Amino acid sequence: MHAVVNTAVTPAPGFREALAFEWTKFTGLRSTLWTTAAAALVTVAGAVFVSLTRSLQPDDTVLGGSLTLSVVGLMIAGVVGALTVCGEYSSGTMATTLAAVPRRGRVPAAKTVLVSAVLYVVGLVSCTVAYLLGDAFLDGSYAQGRPLPALFGIAALFSVVGALGVAIGLVVRHPAGAVTVVIAVLLLPSLFGPLFGDLQRWVAGAAPTAALEKLTQTSDAAPEAVGSLGGWPSLALVTAYTALALAAASGVLCRRDV
Amino acid sequence: MSAVAVLPSVEDMIEARELTKRYGGRTAVDGLTFTVRPGAVTGFLGPNGAGKSTTMRLALGLVRPTAGSVTVAGRRYSELAAPLREAGALLDARAVHGGHTVRRHLLGLARSHGIPARRVDEVLGAVGLESVADRRARGLSLGMAQRLGIAAALIGDPGVLILDEPVNGLDTEGIRWIRALLKSLAAEGRTVFLSSHLMSELELTADRIIVIGRGRLLADTDMRTFIESNSPHATLLRTPAEESGRMRALLEARGAAVRPDAHGRWRVTGPTTTDIGELAREHRIAVHELTPCRSSLEEIYTALTGAAVEYRSTRSADANAEEELSCMPS
Repeated sequence: MHAVVNTAVTPAPGFREALAFEWTKFTGLRSTLWTTAAAALVTVAGAVFVSLTRSLQPDDTVLGGSLTLSVVGLMIAGVVGALTVCGEYSSGTMATTLAAVPRRGRVPAAKTVLVSAVLYVVGLVSCTVAYLLGDAFLDGSYAQGRPLPALFGIAALFSVVGALGVAIGLVVRHPAGAVTVVIAVLLLPSLFGPLFGDLQRWVAGAAPTAALEKLTQTSDAAPEAVGSLGGWPSLALVTAYTALALAAASGVLCRRDV
Repeated sequence: MSAVAVLPSVEDMIEARELTKRYGGRTAVDGLTFTVRPGAVTGFLGPNGAGKSTTMRLALGLVRPTAGSVTVAGRRYSELAAPLREAGALLDARAVHGGHTVRRHLLGLARSHGIPARRVDEVLGAVGLESVADRRARGLSLGMAQRLGIAAALIGDPGVLILDEPVNGLDTEGIRWIRALLKSLAAEGRTVFLSSHLMSELELTADRIIVIGRGRLLADTDMRTFIESNSPHATLLRTPAEESGRMRALLEARGAAVRPDAHGRWRVTGPTTTDIGELAREHRIAVHELTPCRSSLEEIYTALTGAAVEYRSTRSADANAEEELSCMPS
């Protein structure tokens, strides 16, 4: 066996190999592939539903109405991120992964790059298709909204929420627990925001869902509910705290016994 | 497997120095110092909960030591540039994502080190899993999962193999297979370190043996020395029933320990077989059977670890040993 793989000439594995490792695991599982597909399907299905039933408010935009269910797609994106980590803890493969990649910081980094890249494409394609469907079926009585460059921002938000899911998965480890936390982070700020009175704009406005509402230009994105921070600054805010959460979660992974 | 023998190299050693791991108030590994050398199969023996798995996880950098250190191929595992090429490990055969196929599981590990995909087929062949390569891991029997775990350990063609209870779940054919495989890997100059809680598993496989109990080192020696130095000589003696009482009294007068065995014989420890024979002749006692033997390794192991057993049933381990008392002709 020694003759087959010559250790002397092959370079030491680095981040590229760690990423290839994660890609191989991600694409080899029906569960992660279907969950990712569900994020796209639910977003497109929302546009079809709204188009057929015209169940959008008179003051809504075509873009916002078409992307009604992108908020559910966003939640599933977070779940995809969490599952790429928690699936390893529940199956016990985290030890194998860290034995193969003992420079532990590379593991969350590779997972984040993978999940973010996949979700960017999934978010961009599904939201564009959803918008085009809505645009085709909804008549001119609604304001159009400006799809560009908003669609790129929405796709980026899918990426960022996927990365937030990775961070949550690293800390929580248990799949059911991590999925619950992902949903809670996305759902609770807008649910409990009104309880905070004047602070509602800050509590609900900082949530990833608020950034989504602003970017999709739906009528729900009223300043009194989600603050007056624009769509792009909101995206930047979500990206910033996701980066902090990931850094902290990677630190936890590096210190913890497996 | 290539026929090219690789010379043993100090680069492939596992070295633990005062290795200690405490979890809260419980000490799982307690000041272990040992060296596992290339070119031999080293058995790592201890009762359940003795700290074998923790020691292996420490060696792989998965668990951080409270004190002391452990190195693989001369470095801390986390500092190895290409760890799977230096050391392959099987910690838990069930630790495979059930949704992955056998091939995919190995392919991921190969890609983590830029190892070409054909190596996956090689290791599948080496462990005899070609026919289930495209089956999902959740459908594997424990025996097949153990083979997959060994394939994963071999993927980087490493000089060091760390295998935690690899014999668990294997059938007779599988046990024979793994024994031959491990011996051939050691013969190629690799360091083979495997744990077990059963002496009988290691007796025929290991050249060297490290025994621990409650996290502490109890023995670190080669297998033959271990057997010879630890097995008190005993002799099975059968005399006519009417003289057996007298014989026992004579032996005990000379400081021998005499116990009846299940077949109506005396099991005598202390004097040599020759002395017993001479003694019988002196007193004109007929001898119907005189069999020299030594304690089985299982007995030695039970005696050695008896004080160090972490989880003990209310029925004492000694009572069990007494009942299963056996004697291997030496």
